[in-house]
Amino acid sequence: MELSGSVAAESLPSTSLVMVRAINKRFGGVRALRDVNLEVRAGEVHALLGENGAGKSTLIKILSGVHSLDSGTIDIAGKPVEFDSPAKSREAGIAVVYQDLSLVESLSVADNLLLGREPRTALGFVRKRALMARAEAFLQELGIPLDTRATVGSLPFAYRQMTEIAKALMGEVRLLILDEPTSSLTSDEVRILFDAIGKATRRGVGVIYVTHRLNEVFEISQRVTVLRDGANAGTFITAETDMKRLVNAIVGSDRSASIGTRAAPTAKRALDPSPVLSLSDVSNDRLRAVDLTVLKGEVHGLAGLIGSGRTEILETVFGLRALEGGAIEIEGRGWLPNGPADAIEQGVALVPEDRHVQGLVLDHSVERNITLPRIPHFSRWGWMQQRAAIRRAESAVARLAVKAQGASSLVRTLSGGNQQKVVFGKWNDPRPRVLLLDEPTVGVDVGAREEIYAVIRNAARDGSGVLMVSSDLVELIELCDRISVIVDGYVARTLVRGEIDDAEELHHLLQMYQASEPGSLQELSA
Amino acid sequence: MTELTAPNVVASPTRSDRRRKLVQNLLRGERPYMLYIAFVILLIVFSLSSPWFLSVDNFLNIGRQTTLVSIIAVGMTFIIIARQIDLSVASTLALSGMAAALAMSQINNSWIVGAVAGLGTGALVGLINGILTTQLSIPSFLVTLGSLSMARGLAMMVTNTKPVIITNETYFAIFGEGTFLGIPVPIAWTLAAMIVGILLLHYNVFGRRIYAVGGNPTAALYSGINTKRITTAAFVLTGTLAGLAALVLSARSHAARPDVVQGMELDVIAAVILGGCSLFGGRGYILGTLFGSLIIGTLNNGLVLLGVSSPMQLVIKGAIIVAAVAFTKR
Repeated sequence: MELSGSVAAESLPSTSLVMVRAINKRFGGVRALRDVNLEVRAGEVHALLGENGAGKSTLIKILSGVHSLDSGTIDIAGKPVEFDSPAKSREAGIAVVYQDLSLVESLSVADNLLLGREPRTALGFVRKRALMARAEAFLQELGIPLDTRATVGSLPFAYRQMTEIAKALMGEVRLLILDEPTSSLTSDEVRILFDAIGKATRRGVGVIYVTHRLNEVFEISQRVTVLRDGANAGTFITAETDMKRLVNAIVGSDRSASIGTRAAPTAKRALDPSPVLSLSDVSNDRLRAVDLTVLKGEVHGLAGLIGSGRTEILETVFGLRALEGGAIEIEGRGWLPNGPADAIEQGVALVPEDRHVQGLVLDHSVERNITLPRIPHFSRWGWMQQRAAIRRAESAVARLAVKAQGASSLVRTLSGGNQQKVVFGKWNDPRPRVLLLDEPTVGVDVGAREEIYAVIRNAARDGSGVLMVSSDLVELIELCDRISVIVDGYVARTLVRGEIDDAEELHHLLQMYQASEPGSLQELSA
Repeated sequence: MTELTAPNVVASPTRSDRRRKLVQNLLRGERPYMLYIAFVILLIVFSLSSPWFLSVDNFLNIGRQTTLVSIIAVGMTFIIIARQIDLSVASTLALSGMAAALAMSQINNSWIVGAVAGLGTGALVGLINGILTTQLSIPSFLVTLGSLSMARGLAMMVTNTKPVIITNETYFAIFGEGTFLGIPVPIAWTLAAMIVGILLLHYNVFGRRIYAVGGNPTAALYSGINTKRITTAAFVLTGTLAGLAALVLSARSHAARPDVVQGMELDVIAAVILGGCSLFGGRGYILGTLFGSLIIGTLNNGLVLLGVSSPMQLVIKGAIIVAAVAFTKR
């Protein structure tokens, strides 16, 4: 599953940079880490894998000084170190880029990069021009294409993330820890990120790369360490292993048999030719004459870069964006979306991109979240029928195999994959006619991801039309009957299963359409 | 950290579980017991230090004095759960009282006309607050800061700051001076407002939606909830309850005055927060609000009985509120 321009070919460096030996960490009665070892060499990209809860985060937090360790040792460049605060870890040259960003949105990229260390005049005023020049030079050296004057808040998420990484690399950094840096990046942006990582490792920086995307491991890392249940489940030289062995190590050999399906796409099925959803000539501020049909029982994918209009198509159908031209039909009947309530009434459901912001009320129970879009179903004359609501939630929890104490557990306490199942549970019953999915497996671990794929397939089998946006091209190819390529607000091409069977091919196709549409990239980085 | 291989545990609720759930619904809050403990401690302290405190008459007195704050606090609970704030409630009360008294004096001296005018004026102010907040996306803090000033100004303008005398005996009996099933009517109205509040918040569709809107407005919108309408409804409810409080006050004092209860919005907000509502929305419960306002009422009453000077009362009250919130917060 290697993409082009691999840096993995570079040989494994020999100088040991960080040596973690026999670390133990206990939280109350839970042993989060058991005798964990990890070695990172200077100039190496070392991938760290494991399901949610396997101990990756704990290990990172110990390295970054957030948690203390119970026993074990950490050596940096041969000298033992002890961190009792994040500041100490930073002093030792360890920089962490977390998923939640730490930038000041109202300031420019350059201001953010040099925050707190701005070049000053004798009187203490900031030398703006010198600041710009330094930021510019630094970004150039890293090869990160960012406009130093752009306000961070106005940038697409991917570019903010690159700013964050650039910021982490400023100063004396020996070990860079990246925690799922690509979860919201498109393939082009991943490429830019990997180039930047490559430039950093060539300067001797060691990188710990945490990810859920196995194909990236093969593209960028020299070695892989897998954690399972808080213990080492193996360290591999990337070039000498394969995806199957990694999946085995991640999930344990007993469970891997059921997960091997990922490589084998579902067989081509005869589709019911009646369209559930059809868009003709749909236009608004972000879309240009979109023509699209989703058939009954079809999983229809939308591929494209962030900002290409993929999400906007879903938002328009769900009534979140005004329709300015064209027409939408649901099961052959014309319909003008008038807000989400109207869309839900029509049998349209949306699993949004950001489950924490758009999908869930984190401090409320599973039951309250699941019943939220269907409140009228659980009431008579305006009065809630609590038992019916609880019954419905419990049946959804059971059907989707949500791992929770019960329907009254707070959603905040669930893992990412289970939270996402709760979002699906909101639309479980009655079956939606049109199911819109926006990045349905972002931040979901390998095991839960397969379960979510099963949920999507079942929805289609039960007769829903599924329209699904994803940046994970492997996922699109595996799940979708057809894939529409979205470029700059319109459908550039629709592919039928079988026309393309390889993520690399799809990636090249996206590149090609993007290149023929120069306006869109400028719009992104503006 | 969920174990992926863990069996799927879904306890099916028994009858007693459900009953416990119902009680929890009423008592919900981060640390609800702290609130009740604080109230009991307050009662004990005042009982020990003042011979007059511990008597039925004095408790009825506290109940009556707490009426205005308690009634409006029911509405404020909805507002704060929905992540909004209403600073205009005291001014709305004053304006509604003037409207009720003037309407009665103009039209047949009918108590019904007075009641409709008072409640209607309150509802109208609430509606305007709600519409400005949701349609123009102005933070409700600013909208109601403005209406606080405007409603008070209007109340003063209509009679050039003079009070309006009320003479309708039925009006006095219904809203201020009579008893209902042996309970003084101001306290009966408070209980009625509380019960309606509990039903709406914990058993009605409206309550579900209020919690969702306050817990995460974006997720609520994405779940098909008309967040603007729900938020506006919370403002209308609060305005109407301010109107009810105005009826009670004017019936008790046989007159409406434009300068009454200035600054009472702070007592109302303090009662709701003391009662366990989160200022960040999505959390709170009506019974907590009742105890919050009882704590404030008991403080006012007890400090007077102890002969504490009124500047000192303010200092002590403020300090106790901050301490209580510090104790009851998560």
